[in-house]
Amino acid sequence: MQAIWAIASSTVGEAVRRKVLLVILLIALLLLSIIPALSILSVRTETSATISTIFFVIRFTSALIAIILTIYMIPNEIERRTIYTILSKPVQRWQFLLGKYFGAVLSLAMMMAIMTVLALVMFYFNHRDAGKLADIARQPVLYLVEMSLLTAIAMFFSTFVAPLVNFFLSVGFWLVGTVLNPLYDSFAQNPQSQPAFKLMAKFILNVLPNFANYDVKNPILHPGVIIQNEASYYIKTVGYGFLYIAVLLILGIVIFDRREV
Amino acid sequence: MKELDLHVEEGEIFGFLGPNGAGKTTTIKMLLGIIYPSYGEGYVLGREIGDMDVHRVISYLPERPYYYEHMTGLELLKFYDSLFGNHDQAKCQKLLERVNLAADASKTINQYSKGMQQRVGLAQSLLNDPKLLFLDEPTGGLDPIAHREIRDLILSFRDEGRTVFISSHELSEVELICDRVAIINKGEIARQGKLTELLKGGRLEVTVSGVDEGLARKLSSGGVLHQLADGYLLDMPEEEDVNAIVDTVRSAKGTVLSMVPRRKRLEDLFVEAVRGTANSKIAEAGA
Amino acid sequence: MKNKNTLLGVAAAAFLGQAFLNTAEIHPQWTKDYSLGKTSLASGLGADQAFLELLGFREFLAGMLWVRGDTFFETGNYDAVLPIIRLVTMLDPKNVDVYTTGMWHIGYNFTDQEQRSDRRYLPTALALGKEGCANNPETYELFYEEGWLWYHKIDDDYPQAVSWLTKANNHADIPPARKNLMRNALERDGKPKEALDYLYTLLDQAEKDYRNDPFYQTNNNLQTIKGNIDTSVIRMIQRGNIAQENGWYATGDYDTKPPFDVGFSAKVTVLEPKILKIEGTWNVLPVGTRIRVILRDADLPNAIPGSMNWDAMATDVNLDPPRDETYMQDQLFVRNRHFSKRIDMSKDITMYPFAKDKYLIEFYYNPRSAPPHIQDKFGWNGEGMTDKNFMVSNARPDNERVMYTSIEISKDQLLQEGQFAGRPVVLKTKNYRDSSDLRGSNDDVIMVPSLRNTQKPAASAAPATNGKGQ
Repeated sequence: MQAIWAIASSTVGEAVRRKVLLVILLIALLLLSIIPALSILSVRTETSATISTIFFVIRFTSALIAIILTIYMIPNEIERRTIYTILSKPVQRWQFLLGKYFGAVLSLAMMMAIMTVLALVMFYFNHRDAGKLADIARQPVLYLVEMSLLTAIAMFFSTFVAPLVNFFLSVGFWLVGTVLNPLYDSFAQNPQSQPAFKLMAKFILNVLPNFANYDVKNPILHPGVIIQNEASYYIKTVGYGFLYIAVLLILGIVIFDRREV
Repeated sequence: MKELDLHVEEGEIFGFLGPNGAGKTTTIKMLLGIIYPSYGEGYVLGREIGDMDVHRVISYLPERPYYYEHMTGLELLKFYDSLFGNHDQAKCQKLLERVNLAADASKTINQYSKGMQQRVGLAQSLLNDPKLLFLDEPTGGLDPIAHREIRDLILSFRDEGRTVFISSHELSEVELICDRVAIINKGEIARQGKLTELLKGGRLEVTVSGVDEGLARKLSSGGVLHQLADGYLLDMPEEEDVNAIVDTVRSAKGTVLSMVPRRKRLEDLFVEAVRGTANSKIAEAGA
Repeated sequence: MKNKNTLLGVAAAAFLGQAFLNTAEIHPQWTKDYSLGKTSLASGLGADQAFLELLGFREFLAGMLWVRGDTFFETGNYDAVLPIIRLVTMLDPKNVDVYTTGMWHIGYNFTDQEQRSDRRYLPTALALGKEGCANNPETYELFYEEGWLWYHKIDDDYPQAVSWLTKANNHADIPPARKNLMRNALERDGKPKEALDYLYTLLDQAEKDYRNDPFYQTNNNLQTIKGNIDTSVIRMIQRGNIAQENGWYATGDYDTKPPFDVGFSAKVTVLEPKILKIEGTWNVLPVGTRIRVILRDADLPNAIPGSMNWDAMATDVNLDPPRDETYMQDQLFVRNRHFSKRIDMSKDITMYPFAKDKYLIEFYYNPRSAPPHIQDKFGWNGEGMTDKNFMVSNARPDNERVMYTSIEISKDQLLQEGQFAGRPVVLKTKNYRDSSDLRGSNDDVIMVPSLRNTQKPAASAAPATNGKGQ
């Protein structure tokens, strides 16, 4: 565990100094600070438009950071040979991989926390609705779980593909996973859908990582919507994320264990 | 890699030589469990390769290593120390002193010169008080003063009873510090053994004048005769009886102008070993 | 690697676990609670819009599209607004404003050059409202808007108006002022007693509101309700509704007695292809009568006398109503007991395609939609109105008394083609006489008494009374 923690800490230290990520974060922070101005979209729905846009920026930026942070992690360690001095120590490969993963997630969590705090502060200054802040903060918490899953996907692919290929694979999985629920519903609820397509949709729903589950904007944007068992839904989606992350990390460990470095 | 049969004694400095692409780094990585052999067995300190207990008592300095540039020298050592489950800052500082980096402990790695990085690399290789150190090109790209410093450090490791496994192209360095060497070429060992024994078989060059060609040929019967402007050069194995040669020349009223022993150099051995395996390959191919 | 098989076994178990959790537990709950309804899944969206929609930024995209739609409004490009309305409501079904604006736009803004509404869009407006209500059940607004469409635009099927306004009233967020429309809807539905009872419930609430907050707004509301009650009571007395309920209508003298013969007649002249002149008689002197005239395909599905079965047609939001159907609806304003109107359908080919061979010109008058000063005579249910030729009680449910008649006209006649080429076409109701014939007629109009007129009307050749007002 100490080795994992040590590697995670060094990963965080590296990540927060990567200029690309800092630029992306800065742009996101700038956008979050001007979002209240976008509330002119609609007089009646300015609050929901503001909140919706905040979520848009946080989610999109987090996904970008998660992917760019992770796709270079293992390949860079190998290319720069920093991995040799680590693997020559009493550090198993799986400890190394887990350390890098947790370091990535910690770095991502820090950046998401900065974005969320700024967004909440700007929202409060413009709307003076402190009661809404806790409500709004729920979504980024689930976004963190979502991005942890996305990081695990990128980490899994980084054990056997090059960074560029990994980028497109990770983005592709994220996009498909985001539309998985509406895609599945389109097939399943349309009575004219072919049975083969319905079956295929069901198969994909079972197999691919489902990022749409983490979209819980509806009751936050529309306070009149009442949700039953909301806490249990949150627990289930977090549990789902942990299970899928476990699958990806285990597979990554097995592949990485035999990889030539 | 092909057949590889290597034997390293405890407490010695072992040189592992070979041309580019021979498989030196690959061998070291296999011994460290970083990559896996296709077949065969390997043992380090009596344990199978990849054993984590062995990793606690060995260390490795890779060829042209990179370190996390955002860390200072001290932070880097503390990081590696934590991989052993230790958090001994005092030890890390002492090691920096040992490698003459105490004054630069708070500088980040990207501010270190190549020599300083190599020294901090040696420092990290001592964190766990290793019995066995693997050093891959420890002096590569360094200036002569840095060479000297690294060399002295390596010698001090042996004095402390550690075993040092050095992979290097710097034949002069290896010749100066190694006890035993192995020469690898195209994935197989070409020569292996004690340096003193491997470098046996030097030459003796005797320059004579005032003797006739017949006598000169007779004297050089075990070697090579070169005609000079004012005499002959006899190139003979060093085991030849020097006194008998002198007596014979003097009896013939000739003069021994000079006698120069030519010791076998490691470079010669290296070239011979590499070409030897190449020739044997050609011969095999032709047969 | 040691324990590799164990690890892979754990991975397999975790994989099965996530599949089960997702399919059996999470997805159904997500669809129920967090999904925003039907998905458009990039239908009709540009590539950049589809990208945003797919990423889950529906509300953001909806806002952007709505701003763009506003630009089209400003430039009068009403057709372009339609798909935007649809997209925005699909992307953000919680956006009430888009539904209300969309319903208004579709229901009111598609007109011909003479400002006649293209009623082929009405089912779409109604369907959009229904969808909006289903997606936003927590607010009164769209229920109110739907009720308003029935009450004001369709101005006929009043039970529908009552039904939707009732649903609107059942929401706590309805402003007090908007509750008053229900009273009008009930009256138009022929239920003045229920309307009065309703006013009393509003009065109770208004008095409570005023006690809690004795300021202008609550006082204004309270006084309005009181005034409405006064008016309703007086009307119910003078029109004889209370007498009807209590059984003494037959013996009393009420404004609705005797029933007044409106004497409807009409002549349709095809002046030029697709240009009609409709003129005729209506014996009511005070200004305020609007007689509905419809020209439609004779075999139009869902047609009912003087209207359409709009509710049956309002099944889905169809932005492209049937282009081969012709339906023109207008109003004939009566002045000096006479109406005359020129209806030009030649300038709007898309609205009046005239694709069929046979058409029907309908004339319809429902006393429930009469203005109060005329309804004082006609009564809420037409008990004070009659027409010896065209009064019917089988054109509407509940035996509503309405005036209805129709004239058949062919395509050739409308377009002055075939045998009708180059010559005017004249069609009349069976009782029509030219205005010159009316001079000196004994069928002069009887003055309709006003609400406050206590003098009995002068004797005439109208249906005789027995001196007791019967």
